[in-house]
Amino acid sequence: MTVASSPLAGLAYARIAASDPQESARFAEQIVGLMRAGESGGEIALRVDDRSRSLIFAAAIEPSLGLEAWDEAALDGSLSRLAKAGFSVRRASSGESRTRNAQAALLARDATGNAIDIVARPERSGRRFYGARDAGVQGFSSVGLRSTDIEGDLRFWRALGAEAADFVGEIAYLAIDAAHHRIAIHPSKGKGPLYLGFEVGGLDDVMRGHYFLAERQIKIVQGPGREPTSQQMFVRFLGPDGLVYAYAAGMARRGDRPRSPRQFALRAESLCDWGSRAEGVPELAALNEGALI
Amino acid sequence: MIKLEDVCYVRLGTADLEMAEAFATGVLGLQVAERSRGALYLRSDDRAHTLCYSLGDPNEQAVGFEIGDEASLQEAAATLERLNHRVILGTREEAGKRKAKAFIAFDDPTGNRIELVVRPERSGKRYFPTRDCGITGFSHVGLNSTDPVRDEAFWTQVCNARVSDRIGDIPLMRVNAIHHTIALVRAPKPGLQHINHQVASSDDVMRSYYLLSEKQVPIVFGPGRHPTSGARFLYFKGPDGVVFEYSVGVDEIDDESKHRPRQFGFEPTSFCMWGAKPSGLALPNAAKD
Repeated sequence: MTVASSPLAGLAYARIAASDPQESARFAEQIVGLMRAGESGGEIALRVDDRSRSLIFAAAIEPSLGLEAWDEAALDGSLSRLAKAGFSVRRASSGESRTRNAQAALLARDATGNAIDIVARPERSGRRFYGARDAGVQGFSSVGLRSTDIEGDLRFWRALGAEAADFVGEIAYLAIDAAHHRIAIHPSKGKGPLYLGFEVGGLDDVMRGHYFLAERQIKIVQGPGREPTSQQMFVRFLGPDGLVYAYAAGMARRGDRPRSPRQFALRAESLCDWGSRAEGVPELAALNEGALI
Repeated sequence: MIKLEDVCYVRLGTADLEMAEAFATGVLGLQVAERSRGALYLRSDDRAHTLCYSLGDPNEQAVGFEIGDEASLQEAAATLERLNHRVILGTREEAGKRKAKAFIAFDDPTGNRIELVVRPERSGKRYFPTRDCGITGFSHVGLNSTDPVRDEAFWTQVCNARVSDRIGDIPLMRVNAIHHTIALVRAPKPGLQHINHQVASSDDVMRSYYLLSEKQVPIVFGPGRHPTSGARFLYFKGPDGVVFEYSVGVDEIDDESKHRPRQFGFEPTSFCMWGAKPSGLALPNAAKD
């Protein structure tokens, strides 16, 4: 089975550089509906599921995306495959692992220069997740990354066992488990996270979220909509520092039989079946076909 | 007891048949069944027609309900006359215009024109919507009511309607297993409050939301979800200010003996559990008494 060949078990965390970490944390808690998990060493942490820390804001950190490795042995394989493919990767010091709440970690960089952490045994909490509001958040769904080198970034993720599920223009949706995708890489002029997507209970939660945000005049940048590729329903909205958050539900599962990635044209209808148009975030929109945005 | 089987059509007068056709086909997505002198027949399911626009006064509106047979029709006429409703016996020609075997017409206590119809025609040719709107059929109507308590008694005691749920004093009433076929909505004068067509999925509701917004069709409520019936909905305005609804996922009440109508408070969340607010759709004021 192709799925199990990935040494990655799922999305674990995002570390975000914030101009005002308190304000970013307030937004994540009160608006997005995450759970405050504590503050230490200038880092404010929030929970999105049973992991102890999943969203971390701090003023002076390099943003990184954390993925959970299948086990500690998977770190060795990933280290050698990434190094062999020519990517910058090293083992984290015990201090760096501790900061990441994990037993061990690899610190790598994709072709664009996005910091990607692969962590073994990130700590879980025995206390169940209870969001600050009834948003229906159940955990990470998918994360969008900006890419200045789609080909190079594809090689990076493939070295980690990820598989391209579909393409829209140059946008690549990457699967690492049974879900259609967990990572989406979007052509961009810069690097960094494009959006953080959170799984919610279903269409009801997506739409409740939509009206909750609209009432508070929070800028909705895309949706409510539904991706024809992954089938997931979503609403994407703007948080502090231009960070895009998303509620998502209903993502297709990958079948048992491998299939080749499908190519969709870079058109609005390839990004939303319902007819929504992205606004204000060029990487989410279908603008100049084929061109880097 | 007048036993209504189902709602079967709506008749709307209009001064502009061309505009009505452009809306019914290009926006709503119905299929033209027939154009004849001064009338436009439209299909939404396997019935020969479920909506008829005819050249005339937009205040002339009627809702047709199917009843079992001609004997039941005669009984219904007698029942209504006993209750001092003026009953009009449809001629053969008028029945032909309704694509039915026979019908009678009367006004409900508010003054809404109601027609009771025997053997409305089906069509062997399958319904093919003019645009990919996902319509699966004409399903229910909202009727204006100057006195919902009085009118609820008419529909449930003179006719066979049962209350499924209430929002304030608005009863949602069924005549078969479908959660509601008639909703009574407090208003100062008679009229059709809305005309509902079911669609296949919530995707269809959302696709229409964006398509209608693009076409600048006034969206008056939604996209949203009714906590009463569970249906996802979109309300929008058509010609002559008539409000249409798409919805999907209306509950069915299979066990009559176990269903008790639920009471919902008269507040926005009773109409939409997602948080949509009506705009330009006259929702009734709460009962004053």
